[in-house]
Order: sequence, then C-alpha cells, then structure tokens
Amino acid sequence: MRKSLLAILWMCLTLPLFSQTRTISGKIIDAKDSTAIPGATITIKGSRRSVASDANGSFSLQADEKARELVISSVGYINKEVNVLHTSSVLVVLSASEQSLSEVVVVGYGTRLRKDITGSVAKVNAGDIANTPATSFESAIQGRASGVLVSQQSGKLGQGINIRIRGASSVTAGSDPLYVVDGMPVTSGDQSSTTAATNPLADINMNDIESVEILKDASAAAIYGSRASNGVVLITTKKGKTGSSKIDLGYFTGYQKPTRKRHFLNAQQYVDYFEQAALGAARQDVLAGYYDNIDDAIADEKDYVESRFTRYAAGKDTWKTGAVNTDWQDHAFQNAPLSQYDLNVSGGNEKTKFFLSGQYLDQKGIILKNSYKRYGARLNLEHKVRSWLTAGLNLSFARSLNYRVSDDDQFSTPLQIIALSPITPYIDPRTGLTSGALDTTTGRPNTNYPVYYNPVLSAENQYYHTLVNRTIGNAFLSAAITKELSFRTEFGMDQLNQTEDIYGGKLTARNSGVPDGYGAYYTTQIININTNNYFNFNKTFATDHNIDAVLGMSYQSYHRDYSQAKAEEFPSDLYVKLASGASKTEAYTSSNANALVSYFLRANYKFQSKYLLGISGRIDGYSAFGKDNRYGFFPAASAGWILSEEKFLKNVSWLNFLKVKASIGLTGNNRIDDYAALGLYSATAYGGQAGQHPTQLPNPALKWETTLGTDYGVEASILHNRVSIEVDYYERHTKDLLLNVDVPGTSGFSTQLQNVGKLRNKGIEFTLNTTNVVTRDFKWTSSLNFGANKNKVTNLGGQVVGSGVNRAMEGQPLGVFVAREFAGADPANGDALYYKNTPKADGTIDHSTTNDYNAATDVVIGNPNPDYIYGFGNTFTYKGFDLDVLLQGVQGNQIFMQGGQYMSASGSNGFDNQTTDQLAAWKKPGDITMVPEARLFYPNGIGNSSRYIETGSYLRVKAVTLAYNLPKSLIGKIGFERIRIYAKAQNLFTITKYKGWDPEVNADYLAGNINQGLDFYSAPQLKSIVFGVNIGL
Amino acid sequence: MNRTIYTILTASIVAVLAGCNKQLDLKPSISIANSDALSSTDDVKAAMKGAYYDFASSDFYGGRAFMGPDLLGDYNELNWSGTYQGFTDIYNKKITVDNNFVTSTWLAGYKAINDVNNVLAALPVVKSSSIKSDLEGQAKFIRGAALFQLVRLYAKAWNDGDPATNDGVPVILTPTLGISDSLKVKRSTVAQVYAQVISDLKDAEAELAPTNGFYAGSLAASAMLARVYLQKGDYDNAALEADKVIGSGKFQLMKTFAEAFPSIDPPAPIANTAEDILAMQVTNTSGTNGFNEFYALSNRGDIQMTNNHFALYEEGDDRANFFNESDGSYYTQKFDNLYGNVHTIRLAEMYLIRAEANFRQGTSVGASPADDINAIRTRALLGPIDEADLTLDEILLQRKLELSFEGFTLDDVKRLKGSVGPNYPWNDGRLIYPIPLRETRINPSLTQNQAYK
Repeated sequence: MRKSLLAILWMCLTLPLFSQTRTISGKIIDAKDSTAIPGATITIKGSRRSVASDANGSFSLQADEKARELVISSVGYINKEVNVLHTSSVLVVLSASEQSLSEVVVVGYGTRLRKDITGSVAKVNAGDIANTPATSFESAIQGRASGVLVSQQSGKLGQGINIRIRGASSVTAGSDPLYVVDGMPVTSGDQSSTTAATNPLADINMNDIESVEILKDASAAAIYGSRASNGVVLITTKKGKTGSSKIDLGYFTGYQKPTRKRHFLNAQQYVDYFEQAALGAARQDVLAGYYDNIDDAIADEKDYVESRFTRYAAGKDTWKTGAVNTDWQDHAFQNAPLSQYDLNVSGGNEKTKFFLSGQYLDQKGIILKNSYKRYGARLNLEHKVRSWLTAGLNLSFARSLNYRVSDDDQFSTPLQIIALSPITPYIDPRTGLTSGALDTTTGRPNTNYPVYYNPVLSAENQYYHTLVNRTIGNAFLSAAITKELSFRTEFGMDQLNQTEDIYGGKLTARNSGVPDGYGAYYTTQIININTNNYFNFNKTFATDHNIDAVLGMSYQSYHRDYSQAKAEEFPSDLYVKLASGASKTEAYTSSNANALVSYFLRANYKFQSKYLLGISGRIDGYSAFGKDNRYGFFPAASAGWILSEEKFLKNVSWLNFLKVKASIGLTGNNRIDDYAALGLYSATAYGGQAGQHPTQLPNPALKWETTLGTDYGVEASILHNRVSIEVDYYERHTKDLLLNVDVPGTSGFSTQLQNVGKLRNKGIEFTLNTTNVVTRDFKWTSSLNFGANKNKVTNLGGQVVGSGVNRAMEGQPLGVFVAREFAGADPANGDALYYKNTPKADGTIDHSTTNDYNAATDVVIGNPNPDYIYGFGNTFTYKGFDLDVLLQGVQGNQIFMQGGQYMSASGSNGFDNQTTDQLAAWKKPGDITMVPEARLFYPNGIGNSSRYIETGSYLRVKAVTLAYNLPKSLIGKIGFERIRIYAKAQNLFTITKYKGWDPEVNADYLAGNINQGLDFYSAPQLKSIVFGVNIGL
Repeated sequence: MNRTIYTILTASIVAVLAGCNKQLDLKPSISIANSDALSSTDDVKAAMKGAYYDFASSDFYGGRAFMGPDLLGDYNELNWSGTYQGFTDIYNKKITVDNNFVTSTWLAGYKAINDVNNVLAALPVVKSSSIKSDLEGQAKFIRGAALFQLVRLYAKAWNDGDPATNDGVPVILTPTLGISDSLKVKRSTVAQVYAQVISDLKDAEAELAPTNGFYAGSLAASAMLARVYLQKGDYDNAALEADKVIGSGKFQLMKTFAEAFPSIDPPAPIANTAEDILAMQVTNTSGTNGFNEFYALSNRGDIQMTNNHFALYEEGDDRANFFNESDGSYYTQKFDNLYGNVHTIRLAEMYLIRAEANFRQGTSVGASPADDINAIRTRALLGPIDEADLTLDEILLQRKLELSFEGFTLDDVKRLKGSVGPNYPWNDGRLIYPIPLRETRINPSLTQNQAYK
C-alpha cells in the first residue's frame, strides 16, 4: 500500500522532467554493522524530489543531468550529503546520531519509541555498562543519566549504593528506586545483619544487561503506582537474535587502588605534637587549680606523655630517635587484583532464540581482607509455540561470597588503624607477633598496647563471610489474540538465600570483650513472587490515529525468614562453627511478609505522528497499609507535540526534530515496615519469665506517601541530527509523608507512624548529545548531562527529626547539618571559639564568639545535597580504535567529617594519631589559626561544629576505555568473528578540595535518608585499571 | 490449543488473581496483633509480667527515676563527672525542657501505666476470681507506684502550697487503643494524684497475698503506702503501714549492710535478699540496673562521693566502708553487681519510717522509735542509742545514711522543708522536673511548671 503510493507520487513528480533525467541508484547501510536502512529519505539537493529506500535499503531515482548532490536522512541517523555528479551508483553509509530518536525505550509493561515518549526516561545502553570493573551495575550508570545521583557509601565491596532520582522524597520511608528486572520487581533492599547495608543488586551480572531505563517523571513511573515515588529502574537483559549463533568470550584482569589517601603525623611529628599537647594540658591543669605552679604541671604531664610514648613504642625508647616510623594507613590497604571471565552463547532462528551466559568475578577489595567472588549463569529463552503464541523464560542464578570487614564505627574496621601511633612498630619486637597480639605478662592479647585495638588482629583472626545464593526467574507466555490485541502473562520468582558466617578468634578479645572466641551465624531466606498479566492493544485507525494501550493486573508477594545464632568460648581458633562453642548465647528467628495487588491501565494516543497523548492509572492494594486505606489510585497524564512535523517547521532545514512535552502524575511510596499499621504486642522477659507488652498502636488510616510530579520538557535535534538536546524542568511535591510522629507520652507510646508532612524537589535537567566529527575513519561524539535539584522539607508538623548532625527540619533540605558554628582558635589562649548565634533581646542575632560550647547555639552549617550533578562523555573512534572518556561530577554539597573529633582533635581524645593539618595548632598568644591548642585529654573544640565541615564537590575521570578492534581481514582468516582488546579505568582521577579520603562517602553504620554526607573512617572509593579482551566466534 | 481456549484460560487466570485481595491480610510473627494479645488468662498474666518489665525500665523504677532526683537534690556530696549532658544539667540544676532523661522517665512511667491499664481492662477474660484479684492488685500497685514517682518528680511537693490546686501529673486510668484528641489530657491536681495513688495501693493491699515471689504482694503495697503517707506528712498512717510490713515477719534485715547489696564477680543474677520487700529483677538476659550504670566503678563510674558525704558518718559506721576507691575517688558499692536486682523497697526503710512517724507522733506503734533506729544502727556496727538521747535529727541522719544514693535525697529535702545548698530552698521551682517539651508541644492542655515557662 505504502510502496505503491510512493511509486505513484514519485511518478507524478518525475514525469514532467523525464526527458532531461538520469537514474541514480544506490544502497543505504548502517555504519555500525552494515545492515540495510529501510525508509531513509533520499532527496536531490536543491529540488523537492525525494524517494525512500526500500526494505533492502536500496533506492533508485531519476535526477536531473546536472544534479550534484543527494541528501540522505533517516530518523536516528546523522544526515549525509553525497556527490553524484560523476556517478550514478552510490553506497551511503549512515552513522547513528548519539541519542537516537528511533531508539526503542523500555517502559513499564511495554516499549515505546524515543520520539513518541511524553514522559522523562533516561536510558543507559549495554555498551556503557559492559565490563565495568565494579561489583554492581549502578557504578556503571553513575554520571550517565541526568538527574540520577549514584553514590556508593565507601570502597567496601558489595555494600550500600544509594541512588536518588530527582532528589529524595521521603524522611523515614525508603528512598531507593524500584528495581525491575525483565518485568519482575526484584529484592533490592539491604539484607545485612550489621547496620552497614549490603547490596542485593550486586547479584546481577552487568554484562547480561542490554539496557537500563530510568523512569524519572511521574507520568513514566506512575504505572508502578505505590512504589514509584523514588523513580523506577528497569533492567532489561540480553536476548538472542535471529541469525547465526555466536560465541563471545570475555576476560579482563587488573588491579585496584584507593582513589585517595590522607596524611597523618609521622613518628617525629607525633612525638612533637603530643609534647605540645602535654604543655597545653599543663596550662589547663593550672587553670583548673590542680597545680599552683606551671612548671610542676608541665613536668608531670611531660612524664606522663613520655611514659605513654614508651608504652606505645613497645616498651622501648625508639620514639626518641624516630627509629620506628610506621605508616599505619598503608597497613589498612592491600593489593587488590580483580579478574572477570565471561562466556556468552546466543543465537536463534524463526522459532527459537536464546541467550546463554556465564560469568566469574574474582575481586579483592582495597581494604584489608575485603574480597568478593561471584559466579553465575543466565538463560534467556524464547520460543514460538504457534504463529500466535510465544513462550519464554529469563532465568539467572548467582552465588556470591563477600568477605566483609567491620562497620566504620568498629575498632576492628581496617581504616581505624590510622588511630594507632606511628611510633608503634607493626611487629612487636618483644614477641615477634603483630602488635597487640600478646602481652607476655598475661599470655593474653595486650589490653593497653597499641593505643587502641589493632585492626590487623581482626584481619588475621576474624572473618565475616556473607554468602548469597540468588535465583531470579521469570517465565512468560505471550499470545497474539488478534492482529491488534495481544495478551502476556508472566510468572516470576526471586529467591535470595543468604548466610552470614562469623568467627572472631581469641586474639580479637580486646575488641570483642570475649576472651575465648565468638561465633555467629545468621540466615536470611527471601522468596519474592510476582505475576504480571496484561493485554496490549495497538491499532492505527484511518491512517492518522494510533492507539497503544495496556490493561492488566499484577500480584507480588514477599516473604522473609531470618535467624540468628551465637556462641562463645571455643576450645581453639581451629574450631570456628557454633557447634564447638561452649556457651550458646543467642537463638532467634523471625519472619515477615508483604503482598501487593495491582490493576493498571495505560493508553497512548498519537495523531498524525504529531500529537501525543498518554494517560495511565494504577490501583495498588498493599498489605502494610491500614485497613481503611489499603488501596491507592495513581493516575498520570502526559502530552507531547512534535512541532517539527508541522508544516511551518518542516522546511526549516537546520531543525530535524522538535518536541515539547508536559506531564503530571501521582506516585506513591510504600517502603515501610510490613506491619506498620497494626496494633502490636511483643514479647518481653521479666526476671526470666515470659511477658508481653503493647509496642505499637494501630493506625488503620496509614497509607502511602504521595508525590505529585510535573515535568515540562523540550527535545530537539538540529543540524542534520548532529546535535540533540533534551531539557526538562520538574517539580515533585510529596505529601502525607510516612513519619514517626510524636504522640502524647501519657498514652504509653512515644511515636506513631502517620501520614504527616510535606517536602518538595524542584529541578532542571538537560542532556546534550553531539556528533562533533564524522569522517570515513574518525568519529567523535560527546554527551553532556546535567541535573540540578533543590530539595526542601516544607512541613513536619513542627518536629525536628534526626539524632546526629543531620536533621530533617522544616524550611531546610533533607539532612542538613546542624551544629555550632566554629570560629577558630582564640589568639589569646588557644581556646576553640564558637559564634554564639543566639538571639538578642532586640531580635537580632549575636554574632560574637565564645569559648563556651554551651553558650553557642546550633545553626545550619552545611548541606549534604549537591547543587548539581553532571556527566560529560566523549567517544572517539578511529579505524579499529575507540576511546571513551567519562567525566562525572557533583557540586555544591558538604561533608561532615564525623571522625574529626578523634583524628583532628587537639589530642582531646588522647593519643589518636592526628591528621597533619593539626600541626597548625595554636601554640602561643597571638597565633592566628583555625586549629585550637593541643591539650591532651582536655576537650578543645571537638563538639560537633562547622570545624569538621568540608566541601564535598568533586570532578572525576569516572571511566576511560581504550579499545582496539582487530581488523576483520586479519582475524577472519583464523576463524574469529571479532577480537577486541581494551584497557579500562574506573575512578581514574579525582579533583576535589575535600580533605578526607574520598568525597563520595557516607559512613556505612549511619547512612540513611537523613544521615547523608558523613565520613567516619570510611574506606575510600576504588580506582581500578583493567586490561581485557573480548573474542567473538 | 487454539486462540479461543487460550483467551478463556488467560481470562480465568486474571479472574482468579483478581481475588488476591485476601492475601493482603498478613499477620506478623515476632509481634502479634493487639486484638489477639489479651484473650485468655495466660495472656493477661503475660501482660502483667510485661508491665513489670516496663515498670522496671532503667529509665523508671530500674534506676534513673531515682538517680535523677538524687543528683538534683545533691549539694556537694556527689560529684558527677559523666558525659551525658542531660544528667550534667540535672546535677547543675539547669534542666532544659528538652532534657532527654526527663523525657525518658516521663515516657517510661506512662508506658508502665498504659501496660497495667490494658491488664485491668482485660480482667473480664480471667475466670478465676483469685487470679483476677491477684492481677488487679498487681496492676494497681504498679499504677499507684508509677503515679507516685511521677507526681514527685514533675509537680510541686505535697507540702508546697495547696495540693488541691497545684498541678500534678495526668492520671490515666484507661488503656490507649488508638491515637485521638482525647489523649491530650490535662494535669490532675497534686491532691487528685495522691488520692489515686492511695486508692490504687489500698486496693492492691486488699487484693494481694502478703508475698508473691518477686512480684508485688500486699506487703509491698503497704510499704509503698508507708512511703506515700510519709511524703504527705500523714505520720499515723505511715507508722501503721510500715508496721504491717515489719510485723508480718516476712522480711528480715540482712546481718550486714553489705549483704543487703549482694554482688559477685563475675556479675551474675542474685535472688532477692530477705530484706527486699520489692526489687526490680535484673538478669543477664533481661532488665537493666540503672544505678549500676552510673554509680559502679566497674561500669561508667560517673558519680563519686565527696568528703562532704563521708563527714556525715560516725566513727565506726560500717556503711562508710562500703565504697570502692580508685585514684582518690570514691564509688558506692551498693550497685556493684551488673546483673543485680534493684532494691526498690528494703525493710530498713520501714524501720526508719516507723521510727520517724512514731517519734513525731509520740507513739510506739509496733516498737519504740529508739528500738527501730537501733536496729539500723546495730546493723551498721554502731552502738545503740538511748531512748532519751534520740532526736529527730538522728532519725533523719540514719535515714539519709542508710538510704543514700537510693533516690530519697530530693523528696526528703522537700518533705522536711530543707534546702539544696544555700541557693535552692526546698520549694525552688528548679528542683522540679519540667514537663518534657515534646509533651507540651503535642498536647497544649499540659501546663508547664513555673520555673520553665
């Protein structure tokens, strides 16, 4: 029909000119894989004559004798002009534009073409994700999608990664997005038995990922209803393709290092500093009236300090000469090689397509004794049972073994090693053993040498093995009931079985308080079952009207069983299982469950490929909500107008595509405890007898948090599709926050989870893709993305939430730092000074300083939320080479160095080694410095204050890939399809003014919605460099 | 299979799954729904034990509700060197309305009251009348004792102005089943609170067996009543109630002062002593000894005794030896056992109450004041005192020394119209806890105490 129409058209156009014409024919192919491009438009430059290429990419047209150039254009490709003056047969090679408008984008329960999307969806493709030397795929999308803030808590492997899409939208409920793998919402929450989160998404082999779509605005996400407020991340895995079967082998190996290190005092500086601290302490002794005479005080303090020096120098006086100068920081890190092995087999015919993969990852962490091993396999299978019926299965299993280290707040975590004195030898010369292992007088581990417990003892005598067996499977049947109407049913299961096996040997006694070894064993078994059943209707009426609709339901049930067992007193460290512990100290089991029933509808209407309209609605019933509010309705609507299809713009030659769009929608957040709405009793014991008491009040009205999101956007493609830009402005207003609200204590309860409070996020995002240079051999493309978000808590019912430095409070961004404002050292006496910031009688604020911490008041001293985040990628290809460089940055946030009160602390906490910036401490009257006088054991400026606030802005060379594809002519002879060798680097280089280890940080034991941007002995991020090869057979 | 069959099949799957709604009624496992919690006698008994657990919380009768007023009522006998700002402020008489310990004690007290109100409301399911009266007695004992400590901490003393008009604390007599505006209660008057306390304790006294294992028996109720009457200055009734306890013969003074506070190393639970009329139970798996945390040298050791305290002892007083010394600082040994019970009411207190009440009234209910004081003195290895030489000051000194650090300082200062040092007369508003900020913020019906307005 279309072809004959075109033919008639063509004939009408060409007939009158027949006598003066010649025939030009040719073929249009894709630069990437030489496949034909059908439907491309071929126009003779300077005339209105044009034809379209056929299914084989071929075309033929009659042109004027003097026709010089053809212009070839196709949606999603960069326009090309070819000279035809002296030829009548051409082969045109088109290169895809950077962000292809014809690209297929996965949305909830279906797909759409990029140009037809009216919401806001970011897509990251396999090429950007594959072979990233990192444990989990989130690291690979960092900096690649606008408005998506990815931050890894620390450099510990397999642990928490936070993703915030367009800002955080909850104070106490979960703030992580919903993760959906091939249609199945998977278990993604923390399963650690410690307060430091683990990341169940690390079980996904990132080389299996075909694309990651991030549904950012409400209209795109609302199809996921009560779970969509934090955005939705759709992960689609690879499928087999029709054609000859392929075998792909992949291997890379390399090493990792900490991104940054800190500087601590060396032995000589340490001795000098604490001599100074003794002097400072002596001055205070006199002021406190303990001494009448400063000289006596100095003599006593000096004696004391030097006796401690001798103790920490293993009983020797090596501290006097600097003979022992241990850089303990180096001992917290280890050589960290990593290797990954991949094997994929894929293929298919008309009836059956399959993708089979296997992977083994062997990764050592940079932190002492930290490592991660994972192996897994996947089978994605699709078979046409009948011409109208397709059955399939996506099945993956993985087994990961994470050798974890202690939480950031534990003396046993490797990085707390930096508290040890540089005058302490690594090996105690008195015993020939690790310092702290043996006190020869007691035959037990030392209790006061080194200054603190030596974490190396835990590295050598303690383990924390987290083993996860994970199976994610999703089977489906898809039937074409009529040409327009199809039905799909899916049944999926995500099974996560985890064991945490822990043993701490006798030498860890100083840390554990248990003299003869302790063991623990925790199990977590999660079964997460999901079914989706939906109809899809797609029909074009009367040429101009297209309707694409989805109607269906889903049901998901989640069940978790957990147990703990502990024992103490083991005969020796060779016995590490609980069976051998003489004293069983804990037995505990629990289980919890939730269920979600949903009905959803989405309809997209398209008129003349110009006007786009979308509506959707979802009804969710969730078990954890109150009986009165169990079901929620989440509607959304969106509209788009493709202006470039309009007559008045069609002939604007520099403009290839222009779309404006707007959307509005309601989404929810249901991330609360499974029984949060019920009135509960819990068991207690009194005097060894079992009792029970009420622990939670019922709230039958409890419901989801609701976010009303709006998004206004423009998408344009100009200059022969060489430049494309997408700009979005959005607002997200969240109300009915799930908040632990204070209730009258006279009720017998202190708080109740209620729907109280509001917050909002506003922001702007843009993505700019350009094709800078395209020649036969060389191509250079760039992609810039930028997102600025402003978060503000607008109503918490008057409450201030948060117990540490971070707060949720009205009128401020979530998690602002609130503490005293530090004013440096008093030039007169070295006291830490604070700005009072107290209100005066006349209503103004008193900005004078005081040395009395309690006389000053708390003010907002910083914000952990960045002003903006960005990514800038450049890809260069030259013949067989390609180079990809991604810069990624975060700007305008602050970090609170929670560890400063110990490591940059004026000796106030004792003999912790100090950061070198403490050498600038006040020493004599008149000194102007921000570092207060060192005073051993006298607190001087260590209370929470802006003294420990630092900028968190950074710019990173996030990912670099340099690859060479061996020429086909060469490898074809030896039977290979493809050989690609590459070098890849992750976090290669970081530019920041941050004084700590790495500005991408959040102390694992504290991290939460409110607690952000905290650094407490947290491990720096990993800098990885690997070399790899991919072989296609 | 043709398309029609397939369509029917899938449509029926959809229909079946559409019936998933029942799947949304999920029951918790480690907790249970409150509707299931109190449906049998055993359930109610268990809830009673749960109430003891909250009553014995370290924020309440487990320690801090008594340690706080000892710090607040102290003048240079104790030295507080702890880092908890909340207690530092209490010790310095500079309490802020958001003081976390003041808040925690309030919450803990009303939690225990709500627990027993649930028990009382559930009594209809208990069929045995003897079990029912036992449970009712215990519940009322806890409610009376809880209200008594709350009104002493958060309101003016009985003898400070007119108790019939002074604000006391809210009296809550019904269980909380949900959140509503009716929870925004007013403060009852001091007199109303005392009336409720006495009524509850009288009911407990009537309904309970004399002793009841480590739970409250009628004698515990009598002992608590003696304490209440003494606080009110109702000496006749104080003497009568104290005499009931002593006269029952169910309790004996331990041979030595140290034996009243048993402790072993390593710490382990020890049963009540013969002197314990009521003790909050602490084991290595349940309960916390809140005194141990702050007083014991082996624990935080935040509170030390100064020479001013030691100056109060007569030569030879065995109680003066009951201290640990470390680096020139002295720590009481009363709370050395980490897993030791909290000795809530000791028989020694009954002797002291009976002695004081009889002395003031010129009576000899049960025994002469001198005999009672000598029982205490003798145990402390002090010589007996003659009837003729006995003074009220001597009785009060013995009371102070015998019961020191057990939470009597502040209420005795108020009762006796003394002062805390030169700056804080007994009725100074700063010697009363504020109503916690969180409470006045949520519940505007609650008035704040004068000193904190």
